[in-house]
Amino acid sequence: MTARQDNRLTDGAPMLPVRCLQCGAGVQARKASWQQTSVQWSVEAAGACLERRASAPRGGPNGEAFLACEALRESIRQAALDGMIPVPDN
Amino acid sequence: MTAVESEHDGVRGIEAEAAPTRFARGWHCLGLSERFKDGKPHSIKAFGQKLVVFQSGDGKLNVLDAYCRHMGGDLSQGTVKGDEIACPFHDWRWGGDGRCKQIPYSRRVPLRARTAAWTTLDQDGMLFIWNDPEGNPPPADVTIPRIEGATRDDWTDWVWSEITVDANCREVVDNVVDMAHFFYVHFSFPTFFKNVFEGHVATQYQKGKGREDVRPPAKDGEPKMLGNTSVASYHGPSFMIDDLTYHYDVMDIDSVLINCHYPIDENSFVLQYGVIVQRSDKLQGDAAEQTAAKMAEFIAKGFEQDVQIWKNKTRIDNPLLCEEDGPVYQLRRWYEQFYVDVADVRPEMVERFEYELDTTRPIEAWKREVEDNLARAKAVGGVPSLDGGAA
Repeated sequence: MTARQDNRLTDGAPMLPVRCLQCGAGVQARKASWQQTSVQWSVEAAGACLERRASAPRGGPNGEAFLACEALRESIRQAALDGMIPVPDN
Repeated sequence: MTAVESEHDGVRGIEAEAAPTRFARGWHCLGLSERFKDGKPHSIKAFGQKLVVFQSGDGKLNVLDAYCRHMGGDLSQGTVKGDEIACPFHDWRWGGDGRCKQIPYSRRVPLRARTAAWTTLDQDGMLFIWNDPEGNPPPADVTIPRIEGATRDDWTDWVWSEITVDANCREVVDNVVDMAHFFYVHFSFPTFFKNVFEGHVATQYQKGKGREDVRPPAKDGEPKMLGNTSVASYHGPSFMIDDLTYHYDVMDIDSVLINCHYPIDENSFVLQYGVIVQRSDKLQGDAAEQTAAKMAEFIAKGFEQDVQIWKNKTRIDNPLLCEEDGPVYQLRRWYEQFYVDVADVRPEMVERFEYELDTTRPIEAWKREVEDNLARAKAVGGVPSLDGGAA
């Protein structure tokens, strides 16, 4: 049951490298539209993320999960606005 | 015909390997623990086997392979005697650790009189068992988080249901990435949706508005539904906790929803769901119980629709996705970690992956910003760039 390759990555835009403007962590990112973003982290990137290290668990049974790094979100947004991450027209 | 044309004209095949006969490593919930605490043995079909669940005299819940290693008697038809389960065939006594403790008509228990025993966890009113084809105990960091409301007086008791589904359990797990089904099944309109897969946890964050086309506007004096916030995590392969808050103009209703399953075999599973609701000054007494019951009813309807799809659909390993679909492939890559030996878990199965859809920032705002960016770049006579790496 080996998971296969996402047809959107082979037929459309691939994941592309983006560096966080805050901590320099390197991730792979992709946008399917202005409103959609995918991010693939590595163990090294997760270890480098400052916001992640500073984060405390939220309340509730699922509070341990880290929701998002705002600096990385901003970095990807900037990369998209600057045309480094292509955004399909729709 | 050119190669490109033939590629586009070709019929897309549906590919699917047979469902794995191996069962997932992880904690599985067998249901509310109270149900097993009546002094009788209970028969459960799970992981392609028959299991016996019984409460020993010390109050602990135990789970063993149901078949007696002596002559194959069914222990789930037997009797609890003290801390042991007695086989109905020849009264052999088995302890919760899987060892034969006594044979009433024999002076000695033979060597190797040991059966399969599952590690159990009785927590927050639910019975869990640890399944591991490699036979290892649960690692310390692979746990089911505590649910505070489950043991508190200001929350309702669990409203719990189960149904047997004739499909492989991957179908229900796929739901975690299915944004569209919120609109069609849960009558909710997500304005923010995010999946995060990391380690053994898969999370779905969601903020939604109620759909006014299906939910009639509140009458005068009734609370007006504004939307909901949901944080739902699969802790391992089969147990999802949904921390769900409904927002009204005059109050919030906090609830916890469980969506969990255990495989009967590779072609069927038992799907279970439970709800608890927090009482408040706006939701007192029976009103909280009624809300929990109503929510359970609502979930049941949603799952009934899902089940209808699942039992008729075909298994598909190569779904053809459009850009508006969620991260099905990445979810399955995460899910695969539970079906391989621990030594064979690859980094990409557990490394963090995020998929986010945020509709709260309108597309027009994005486009305006791009135009501003271009205008600014034009004014300074260059191309828009990030730290010099031109586009």
